[in-house]
Amino acid sequence: MSQTPVFAVVGHPNKGKSSVVATLSQNDAIAIALEPGTTRRRQAYPLKVDGQTLYTLVDTPGFQRPRRVLEWLEAHSVSASDHADTVRAFVTQHQGDGRFTDECELLTPLIEGAGIIYVVDGSVPYSPEHEAEMTILRWTGRPSLALINSIGSDDFSDSWQAALGQFFQVVRRFDAVRAPFEQHLGLLRAFGQLEPDWEMRLEQATHHLSEQRRQRRHQAARLIAGALEDMMSFREKRTLTAGQAAGISDDALADQLRRQWYRQQRKREQTLRLDIEHLYQHQQIRRQEAELEWHSEHDLFSENSRKTWAVSRRYLATAGFGAGAVGGAGIDALTFGSSLGTGALIGGLIGAAGSYFYGDRLTLPALNIGALRDGLKAATFGPVQDTQFGYVVLGRAVDHWWHISQRNHAGRDLLELEPANHHWLELLDRTSRQEIQKALEKGRRQRPLDDRQRDRLVAALEQAMAAYDDWRLNRT
Amino acid sequence: MTESPLRLLLDFDQQAQRDRSQPPAFLHRRDRKFALLCREQGLVPDAARWLAHLRRLSGPEATPTPTEQTLSSWRRITGGFAAAGAVLGIITMSGLLFYEGGQRINVTVILAFVLLHLTLALATTAQAMAGWQPWRRLLQRFGKTAEDGAFRNLQPLLMARAAHLGGLCFAITGLATLLILVVIQDLAFGWSTTLDTAATGYHRLVQAMAVPWAWLWPAAVPDLALVEATRFFRAGDGHGSQPALWGQWWPFVTMLWGTWVMLPRLLLWLLTSRLLRHRAGQLLANHHAMHALRYRMETATLETGNAHNDAHDLPDTRTRSDLLPLPDSDVLLCWAGAGEPELPDALYSGRERVERAGGRSSLAEDEQALRAIAGHLADHPQAQAVILLVRSWEPPTGELEDLLNSARRLWPTGTSVALVPLAANSLHEPDTRQIQPWLRFAEKIGGDFLRVSLPPLYPQSPYTGKDRAL
Repeated sequence: MSQTPVFAVVGHPNKGKSSVVATLSQNDAIAIALEPGTTRRRQAYPLKVDGQTLYTLVDTPGFQRPRRVLEWLEAHSVSASDHADTVRAFVTQHQGDGRFTDECELLTPLIEGAGIIYVVDGSVPYSPEHEAEMTILRWTGRPSLALINSIGSDDFSDSWQAALGQFFQVVRRFDAVRAPFEQHLGLLRAFGQLEPDWEMRLEQATHHLSEQRRQRRHQAARLIAGALEDMMSFREKRTLTAGQAAGISDDALADQLRRQWYRQQRKREQTLRLDIEHLYQHQQIRRQEAELEWHSEHDLFSENSRKTWAVSRRYLATAGFGAGAVGGAGIDALTFGSSLGTGALIGGLIGAAGSYFYGDRLTLPALNIGALRDGLKAATFGPVQDTQFGYVVLGRAVDHWWHISQRNHAGRDLLELEPANHHWLELLDRTSRQEIQKALEKGRRQRPLDDRQRDRLVAALEQAMAAYDDWRLNRT
Repeated sequence: MTESPLRLLLDFDQQAQRDRSQPPAFLHRRDRKFALLCREQGLVPDAARWLAHLRRLSGPEATPTPTEQTLSSWRRITGGFAAAGAVLGIITMSGLLFYEGGQRINVTVILAFVLLHLTLALATTAQAMAGWQPWRRLLQRFGKTAEDGAFRNLQPLLMARAAHLGGLCFAITGLATLLILVVIQDLAFGWSTTLDTAATGYHRLVQAMAVPWAWLWPAAVPDLALVEATRFFRAGDGHGSQPALWGQWWPFVTMLWGTWVMLPRLLLWLLTSRLLRHRAGQLLANHHAMHALRYRMETATLETGNAHNDAHDLPDTRTRSDLLPLPDSDVLLCWAGAGEPELPDALYSGRERVERAGGRSSLAEDEQALRAIAGHLADHPQAQAVILLVRSWEPPTGELEDLLNSARRLWPTGTSVALVPLAANSLHEPDTRQIQPWLRFAEKIGGDFLRVSLPPLYPQSPYTGKDRAL
C-alpha cells in the first residue's frame, strides 16, 4: 500500500494556515489569532477512517527568516540537483538552534515527504518579501499547491494568482472561514491530484466526509424531533399540602408554575442547541452563545419570535385538514368505505377549522389548579395547548442547525442568529406538513410517539431542513 | 443462539434506552469497532454477539439487570397462575364430583363446564393475538408493566402464556382429582336436563364429543343402553335398578377432561410460547435501534483530526495603546517594500536619507543600509531618531528583529527607532487591528529603543507631534 499522504500547511506568519487546517480537520479548538507566533510547533491532524489514516494535515509556524535560510542554502549548494539534500542538511544543521526554530519545524515534514500547501492572504497586496520562502519551498522538490485565503475584505487575488503560478503546480482560492462544504471536498480532491498515489485516498476521504455530513443531517433531525416532543408535552406539576396551599394564593401559585415551566422549556432548548453543535464538532461555541443577543431580543416566548417563526393560519388550516382527514378516514374504514369518504372529509374540515380559528395567536399552556383533596392540592401548568408553539421551537431549531451546519471550524465570530423574514415552511410538501402537525398534536395531548411515528416525524423534519436550506440558498 | 429471543429483546431494548443518552460519535466508534472485530474473527455481527461483547467489557452486573427484574416478575406472574390453576383444578373437580349418595353427578354439568373452559381458552388466545389487554390496569397498579419499549407489545402474549399454563395445571390437577375420586369412591354418574331430549339425541352428543378417542379407547364411549339407563330426574325416586351402571360413565368423563380441557390448554400453551418467541424475534429485527446499530456497524467511523486542542494556548493579544508621536527625524528606513511603489510626500519631505532593507534586498544590502544610517547619525549628532516604515498588514518577523538588533549594535547610543506601519493605501491610517501586533512587537523588543507611531497623513496630519492613544 502506498504511503499515507501528508500535507504540510506552510507560509508567511498570519496568513491563515491554522484557519485552513481548522476548517479541513473540523477542529474549532485550534488556536487562531492575528498574532505572529500563535503556532509555535508543528501539529499533525490525521483524518482516520476506522482507525486507518487516509491523510494527515500538518499545521506549521510561519517563516521568520526566509532570506537568511535561502542565503545558507545557496551557499551550500552546487547545482539544482542537490537542492533537496541541502534543505535536509539545513534542518539537520539547525535542529534545536533557537534562530531557526520555526523554519526547522515547517521544513521537517517536507523533507520527510509531505506535500506543500502554501497559504497566502489574498485580501492584502502581493509582496515580493514572499519570494524567498517560495524559493525555499521549491528547493524541497515536493509537490505543491498554493491556497489564496481571504482574511480581510479587499481582494488582491488576481495579482497573487499570477505570482504564485510561477512557483506552484496548482493555485486555488479558498476562504477558510466562509467556504461552503462542497469547496472543502473540492480542495481535498485537488490535494489528491498532486501525486498519482494520493488520489485514491483523498477520494475515499471525500466520500466518507460526504457520508458523514448526510448522516449528521439525519441525526440533527432526530435531535430536533426529540426536543419538539419533549417541549410540546412538558407539564410542570406541583403538589401542595393543605398548609402550603393555605399559604399561597392561586395567582401566586400559577405565577410560580409558569416561571418554572418557562425555565424548563428554555433549558431544554439550550440542550438541543449544544447537542446540535457537538454533533457538528463545534465545541467552542458554547462560551459565545451565552452572549447571543437573540436570547433576549428574540426569546422563545416573545411576540417577536411568534411573528417570525409561527406559521400562517392558512398553513395551519391545510396541515390541520390533513391531520383531521386521517382520523376521519378511520370512520370510512369501519364502514368498509360505504360512507364514500365522508368521514375523511368531515374530519378534515373539523381539523382545518380548528387550526384556522385558533391558530393566529400563541395561546400558551393550560393552567389547572385542582381542589383540595385528601389534604393535598395539585396544580399543573402545561402542556402547551397551541401547536404554534411547536412551530416556533421548530423554526428556531432549524435556523440554528442551518447556521451550525454551514459554519466552518475556522470561524471565531459570535454566532448571531437573525430571525427569518419569510416563513420557509410554506415550501414544505403537504405530507411532511401533516406529519409535523400530527406529531405536535400528539405532544399537546401528552401521547408519546411510537418508533414508527417518530421515524416519520424525523423524515418530515429532514424535509423541513432541506426546504430551509433551499430557501436560504435562493435568498442569498 | 443460546439465549431466548425474549431475553435478547429485553437486553437489547435496555441497551438501546441506555444508548439514547450517549453521543452519536461514541456509539458509532464503539459499534463499528465491534463489527471490525467480528470481521477479523470471521463472525457475523448480530444482536446476541453485540450484547455479549458489551457485557464482557463492562464485567458482571452488581445489581439485577432490568431484564432480569422483568423476567422474574413474569416468572412470578406465571408461577402464580400455575399455582392458582392447580388449586382451582382440585377444588373445581371436587365440586363437580360432589356426591353425597342422594343425587347423581350430572354429566350434562360436566359437559357444560368443559365447553365453558374451552371457550375461555380460545378467547384468551384470540385476545392475545389481537393485542387487547383488559387486565393492563391491574398490572399497572402493581407496577409490573413496561410502559414503553418493545416489550410492551409482548405483554398480551406473555399474559396468555401464563393463563394457558394456569389452565394446564388446572386441567392436570382436575384430572388427578377425578382419578383419585374414581378409585376411592363409588361415583354415581347420570345425566339430566329439563329439556325434552330423548336418550338418542343425548347419545349422539356424547358420541360426537368422544370422536377423538373412540378409536383409542372404545370403552370410554358410552353406548345407547347406558345413556338410556342412566337418565335421572330429581323429582323421581332417585334410585335405579342397576347401581353398577351409574359408575360406567367415568372413562368417558376422564377422556372428556383430558381431551377437551387438558389437551387444548397444552396445545395453546405451546402455540403461545412459540408465537412469543417468533414475535420477540420479529420485534428485535424491526427494533428501531437495530436499524441504527446496523448502520453504525456497516458505516466506517471518521475522525477528522479534531482531537488536538490548543484553543486556550494563545499568545498575549491584549490591546496595547502606547502609540507615541512621530519624532523629528531626517532618516527613513523602508522595510520589506514599505512605501513602494511611491513614498507618500508627507513622509518623504524633509528626509535627508532614505534607505531600504528586507524584502528583495539581500542581507548584505541590509547591513550596508544600516551602516550608511550609522554614518549619517554620526555626522549629525543632533539626530536622535530613525523612522522605520513597515507594511502594517505584514506581521513583524524574526528578520526584522535581527535587523533591529544589528541597528542597535551599529548606531550611536541613544538613537531610537520610530516604527511606522503604513496602510495599503498610504493616504489612509492603518487599521487598528493591524497596528496591535506592531505595538506588541515593540514591547517585546523593549526599552526606549523602539516605539510605534502613526504615519503623518497628507496634507497635514492632525496627529503629528501630539500624543494619541488607540
